[in-house]
Amino acid sequence: MRIDDLEQMESEDVNTLPSVERRALLKFGLAVTGMYLGGSILSLATVRNAHGSTIVPEVGKYPYSPHYSMVIREKRCIDCELCKEACAKTNHVPKYGFRTTILEKRRALEGNKFETTFMPVLCNHCNNPPCVRVCPTTATWKDKKTGIVGIFKPSFCIGCKTCVTACPYNARYFNEERRVIDKCDFCFESRLSKGGTITACAEACPADVRVFGNLADPASRVFKLVHTPETIVWVLRPETGAIPNVFYINA
Amino acid sequence: MKKILMVLVLGGCLLSGSLLIAGADKKEAAQAYDEDTYGPEAPIVWVKPVKSVVFEHKIHTMDAGLACDSCHDDLFEMESGAAEEKDDFTMATLYKGGYCGSCHDGSTSFASNTRCASCHIGVRGHDRLNNKGGTATKSH
Repeated sequence: MRIDDLEQMESEDVNTLPSVERRALLKFGLAVTGMYLGGSILSLATVRNAHGSTIVPEVGKYPYSPHYSMVIREKRCIDCELCKEACAKTNHVPKYGFRTTILEKRRALEGNKFETTFMPVLCNHCNNPPCVRVCPTTATWKDKKTGIVGIFKPSFCIGCKTCVTACPYNARYFNEERRVIDKCDFCFESRLSKGGTITACAEACPADVRVFGNLADPASRVFKLVHTPETIVWVLRPETGAIPNVFYINA
Repeated sequence: MKKILMVLVLGGCLLSGSLLIAGADKKEAAQAYDEDTYGPEAPIVWVKPVKSVVFEHKIHTMDAGLACDSCHDDLFEMESGAAEEKDDFTMATLYKGGYCGSCHDGSTSFASNTRCASCHIGVRGHDRLNNKGGTATKSH
């Protein structure tokens, strides 16, 4: 093509674009942006339904009766592990497994010192238990009356360990001898179903760290502890949405 | 000429470095723990009535400046492990001013019913003391 011919051709730069076409492009762009923007605004609006801040159920809104729960008075724990011993003895827990255990936290203080905190952990008997949701055989179940999460149908357990992976609290282990997943059931099988009122671990604790009881009963100690004014109550891993029933306080 | 100068400078640096290290060693040696003055260096670990409570002479004598007769033989017998054989070696006795509670009353030093894990090292701490350097044998 010769330079003379080129000069005769119509320009294709943006100055010569008709305004209709420009408007169409702008509209398209706005539509795309608006869709994403609208999406984020929508999801911001739905957060209202998440109830992320309420760790302790409101008074009178306990889903179970009795609503078994445990309050851990964390800073009193001295890791004597009498709870672990009592649990293992009561529920025949083998050496390699655990239904409850004590974790250790270390916080640095000034001058090369540190502060140790022992943290008892066990199954949180969640209101929305991820382990129950994933069980393919319904071997593990949340009891509709007491809210206890347990392997209520051990013969159904195929040992797939999906629940072990799903549990946010590492509260399950595979019992090699019984070929069944085992976990804390608040001593339901060994004590509560036989008329007992307290778990073996809570009974064995010399420092009054573990308080077990019915959260739905306003006269119970667990109820009083988590509903005391100016008490900070926390749960482990609240972000999972499992709604745990083991509460931690420092009072 | 340049090379010789370089060697000299390097040598000087190394020499001063080693001198500094030697000096630090000397300083440390001066603060060495004397068991005759301050009591046994190894921590005392009680396992009764619960596992496990640690007591370090160093913190109480060398660091806090207490004399031997502050505790021996009125509060504690000199013989190690004598206290834990007694039935009253409990927190209840401490709260009444017995044993550690004589000073750990909230005014002389922190009260015995606070900061539990300062002395209570637990089963984990006990295991850690028993295999120093090695990792804890417990899997959880």
